Amino acid sequence: MVFAVAAIGFWAARNRAMTSADGDSRALHSLPNYYGTNAALSAIVPSLAVLALWLIMQPLLIETSVSKLIPDAAISEDTTRSLMMSDVRRIAHGLDTAIAEGGMTPDEATGLRSELTNLRERLASVGVALGSDVQAEVLFAAQKYRMMTRRASLYMMFSVLTLAMIGAAYAWSRSDKDFRARNIVEKAVLALLISAASIAILTTLGIVMSMLFETWNFFGQYEATSFFFGIKWAPDFRGDSALGILPLLWGTLYISLIALVVAVPIGLFAAIYMSEYAGPGLRAVAKPLIEILAGIPTIVYGLFALLTVGPALRDYFAQPLGFSGGADSVLTAGLVMGIMLIPFVSSLSDDIINAVPQSLRDGSLGLGATKSETIRQVIIPAALPGIVGAVLLATSRAIGETMIVVMGAGAAAAQLDKGLLEAINPLEAMTTVTTRIVSQLTGDTDFAAPETLVAFALGLTLFVITLGLNVLALYIVRKYREQYE
Amino acid sequence: MNDMRIAERATHVSTRKISATGVQVHYGDTHAIKDVNVEIEDKTVTAFIGPSGCGKSTFLRCLNRMNDTIDICRVSGQILLDGEDIYDPKVDPVQLRAKVGMVFQKPNPFPKSIYDNVAYGPRIHGLAKNKADLDDIVEKSLRRAAIWDEVKDRLDAPGTGLSGGQQQRLCIARAVATQPEVLLMDEPCSALDPIATAQVEELIDDLRQKFSVVIVTHSMQQAARVSQKTAFFHLGNLVEFGETGQIFTNPIDPRTESYITGRIG
Repeated sequence: MVFAVAAIGFWAARNRAMTSADGDSRALHSLPNYYGTNAALSAIVPSLAVLALWLIMQPLLIETSVSKLIPDAAISEDTTRSLMMSDVRRIAHGLDTAIAEGGMTPDEATGLRSELTNLRERLASVGVALGSDVQAEVLFAAQKYRMMTRRASLYMMFSVLTLAMIGAAYAWSRSDKDFRARNIVEKAVLALLISAASIAILTTLGIVMSMLFETWNFFGQYEATSFFFGIKWAPDFRGDSALGILPLLWGTLYISLIALVVAVPIGLFAAIYMSEYAGPGLRAVAKPLIEILAGIPTIVYGLFALLTVGPALRDYFAQPLGFSGGADSVLTAGLVMGIMLIPFVSSLSDDIINAVPQSLRDGSLGLGATKSETIRQVIIPAALPGIVGAVLLATSRAIGETMIVVMGAGAAAAQLDKGLLEAINPLEAMTTVTTRIVSQLTGDTDFAAPETLVAFALGLTLFVITLGLNVLALYIVRKYREQYE
Repeated sequence: MNDMRIAERATHVSTRKISATGVQVHYGDTHAIKDVNVEIEDKTVTAFIGPSGCGKSTFLRCLNRMNDTIDICRVSGQILLDGEDIYDPKVDPVQLRAKVGMVFQKPNPFPKSIYDNVAYGPRIHGLAKNKADLDDIVEKSLRRAAIWDEVKDRLDAPGTGLSGGQQQRLCIARAVATQPEVLLMDEPCSALDPIATAQVEELIDDLRQKFSVVIVTHSMQQAARVSQKTAFFHLGNLVEFGETGQIFTNPIDPRTESYITGRIG
């Protein structure tokens, strides 16, 4: 409806502007469509803003007024006001459904009294399940709730439409040949862009705040020093868990390190080959092929780790060397994660190497350097800041990876208390911060226990680490960028 | 700009360094150089002049096989350096480029320190016995390029931080440090202001003591000032080649005269 008003406004304002210029669009300040767009925007923006605000405010206002209808006496001991309110909403919704399906007439719904004890069955017959028989106060509140909601929706529709029409009419009345519709539209575009940017930033802030809050709760129940410096990770729900982050952090860093050892040389060399040696035909085929790797879901990599790489490493590498153990190992996860990261490193490095000016290559070749000398001594140093940035980005990705670790390296934390050899053995099963976050939060858990809340502390720590890496990457790229020119 | 000392130019008749016969260059379907014959003498500055797109830079790049790096470029004909065919399969283009150095149109110092820029060539080719020797080569080259006094206190500073004229002289020092026999310069002054241009021109004249220099230029005054021999290219043809004084005062071909007097180009 609002959009229909906007469309009419668009057309009307455009026409009015044209008429004011005697049909000669050159006499207008702005192109005719700008007048139309201005009218459409004037109709849509305020009305949709009010709509959004209304949708947020309406439940809040109605809830507070309805919840006053339930006297404290009616709240029995094993329940709370908020639980009662959810009953109220359920019943109100159930009445609506019943009317819609013809199980009740509207009059019947408003006139219902709790003496009609079969309300529970009647609502159940239209698919609304109630926990217990309905109290009189609750039913009354529900009927009130229903009425207020319906009335409010009506008001809302009316006011939003009126606002849209007022907006369109105002814009229409201002549309004449001297009106600067183009500048108004320009400002609207700017506002749109700013709001898009601020949504991204505010969301980040919101995430950090919610993590901070839960982490604060966690540190209220568990000592910070034993979290950050504890070398044992052994959560249980009996209340004597050891929740040291170090084994998890070690697992994360170790697996990421192996992944980078795999990904950086392969990715970089692939990028050098692609940008410096490969012909255009080969490049056109090979580059998308490498980038396909980036499109494979990590769970598929996880399967690959679990079913192929893990057993292969165990059978052909670990067992011949005399190591026992299962298919889960740090090496498996690291290798597979490294493969996943190759396209990140190669694709970014390739772009960066291509951005190195041709004149530097010519300069070096003109001095009698070979191609590989040129690459090693001129191109790589020139591209280094970008390459470092690419590697750090890949590192962030590796640290945040979960699926491959669960399936490749298992879910048991590194056992730092069993000695150095255990800790650095790449064939041991180990796990990472992200994996533990998943296991701490899934399943039947108590959301107030430190064993669950630790997930937030872990998440925040991880966030701080990856944020630090990203900042470092940006800093390096910025600091050395001017050397290009 | 007004010291056209053409008439009293002394020409050093000496050994023949490069001789090109019947050189043809194709870029894909474009016939860029058509049957060019040029003799470049040792310890002489030879200037290539001609309107944009006439093939003079292309021909210059043939002389140290820089065109090899362009996939679609094909070169035929014979180019002899000291009597050896440089397009012979036995010749290593990398070795050739060490002997025939090149300075480009745009200053292109590497993103390294000034010292490392100059030491780049000597290091690659193993020209220095030890660190002291390398220091010596770097200093000599920078002095040759008339930039030593400006940079001697900041050899560790990045070469990219210098001004345009300094960068170009640094690039010349870098080319000189490799101890080439021929130095090719592709419009070395096109990105420079008149003062830096004057410095580079002085330098070119000085370099003639040791090397054979080939310079591509758009500026006829520059050609007249620095060169002993001039070749005029037009539409891929070598129109006229001879003593600079003769080309500028008494051209044989009417096209040369039109170009020099500014009627075509």
